[in-house]
Amino acid sequence: MQEDWVKKREKDFINMNHNAKLEVNYKSQSDHNNVMVVAHPDHPLYRELITHYKVRTIDEAINSFDTYELIIDLSPLRTQKKFLFLKELAKTTKAEIISDLTLCWGEWILKYSPQVKASVSTLFYSPTNAFEYSLRDGTDSKNRNCIADFAASTNQKMIEHKNLGLCFHYPRTIAMIINEAYFALGDKLATATDIDLAMKNGVNYPLGPIEWGEKIGLHNIAQLLEELNTITRDERYRLSTELKLHAFKYL
Amino acid sequence: MQINHVVIIGAGTMGQGIAQWFCSQNITVEMVDQNYEFALASLERIYLSFDKLVANGKLQNSDVLNFKKIISVKKMEEINPNADLVIEAIVENLDIKKKLFAELDRSMSKSTILASNTSSFPITQLARELSIERKKNFLGLHFFNPATIMKLVEVINGLESNPEIANQLINWFNQRNKVACLCSDSPGFIVNRVARNFYGEALRAVDTFDVEKFREVDNVMKEVGGFRMGPFELMDMIGIDINFSVTESVYKSFFDEPRFKPHRLQRDMVNAGRLGKKTGKGFYQYES
Repeated sequence: MQEDWVKKREKDFINMNHNAKLEVNYKSQSDHNNVMVVAHPDHPLYRELITHYKVRTIDEAINSFDTYELIIDLSPLRTQKKFLFLKELAKTTKAEIISDLTLCWGEWILKYSPQVKASVSTLFYSPTNAFEYSLRDGTDSKNRNCIADFAASTNQKMIEHKNLGLCFHYPRTIAMIINEAYFALGDKLATATDIDLAMKNGVNYPLGPIEWGEKIGLHNIAQLLEELNTITRDERYRLSTELKLHAFKYL
Repeated sequence: MQINHVVIIGAGTMGQGIAQWFCSQNITVEMVDQNYEFALASLERIYLSFDKLVANGKLQNSDVLNFKKIISVKKMEEINPNADLVIEAIVENLDIKKKLFAELDRSMSKSTILASNTSSFPITQLARELSIERKKNFLGLHFFNPATIMKLVEVINGLESNPEIANQLINWFNQRNKVACLCSDSPGFIVNRVARNFYGEALRAVDTFDVEKFREVDNVMKEVGGFRMGPFELMDMIGIDINFSVTESVYKSFFDEPRFKPHRLQRDMVNAGRLGKKTGKGFYQYES
């Protein structure tokens, strides 16, 4: 059963769009020479990443035969595609992987991708420049140190948690808040400006949900909610049509 | 728009805060409560709050002396029928509110604006039995706790409200360091609707009673999301029963829309009497 599912998804993976080719200016620090980062140019930390690491696209990463000690995978993939990408990666490298599982069912990935030693969530803009991370049980402190190094390189604060569930805590919660703001917009409850003002001045949100969504990227919000909907089959994660309408401009 | 005289009905936490805010804008305020002694106690708390602000150097003594002269407690039959604005901030009970507004419709001048601070009832429904003329002068003014500090006022037009009054009130509030936002007459208005999933999603992330997970979620939402309080701390502060009741109300009003579905952990907490800080126990435990 599992085999069939994997084969079907491998086909999906091959059809994935990997058009993004990068102009990368390497200024890697010497101690990062054996670290490869997989990231898309849309990633919010991309500018910082290319000044510190060898950054590769998904295509480049799976076709790379260089030897790395560590791979920091920040590809914005959902569970099934992430699993297939990690599987492809495992064919060419034995490096340990720290993977961004913002759009994934983290527990599932950890169960079936043994090379993933830790997970991070860096895809969603954070108003405090911070990200969540979680270490696989039994992982040594080396991986925490690698994440700390990554956090320092990208000027981020790292917040550990031990209960890796679906799509981390902050991304799924803020995605739902932003989705509701778009439902409200669609219902003509108030203007986008008034929705933002209300949330900032009524309940002290650091940003209004509409401006927050713009910073995160509505395509990321849409992907995350689609993933939650796929995994849980819970209609609460249904996307607002207004959000879909606005997310299109990011694609 | 001229607002020189305001009547606040209901001297609970919200009514008291709203009364104090209007008074601090040099507006004459009459405060009414069905329990006269309770209203007097609220007035005492307002005096005390003003005195503290003087002690902290945030207000001048001369200002406070004036404020104390322009705020008073009245019985219902004593209120000025020519007040510019009456704001109802009584218990969230539809029948009681409708009865009050029917009485105000009869007793107040035709030009007086009547407003409800309701967070759960449609403005159009509250205005249903009012006179045709009064319906035009009727709207929602939803303040946030503490009303003296929180800047937001949601301004809600009912179906038959005169939209010009809402526009003028928005300008009036915005000139006085409030942030007034216009929204349509829809369940939860803006904040109570959009904020629902701050709690709902956190509850689904933990799913069962687990203090370590509550801490983890709270920590992440503050440290990564930049929220001042985590969802579990905030539910404990608001009162888990109140939060649950608002969620149920929005859920029912949207005809069981799954996005607003309450979580069984909320219900279990309420059934267990763990209502948050006010009972000493909620998602967390508090020292008495």
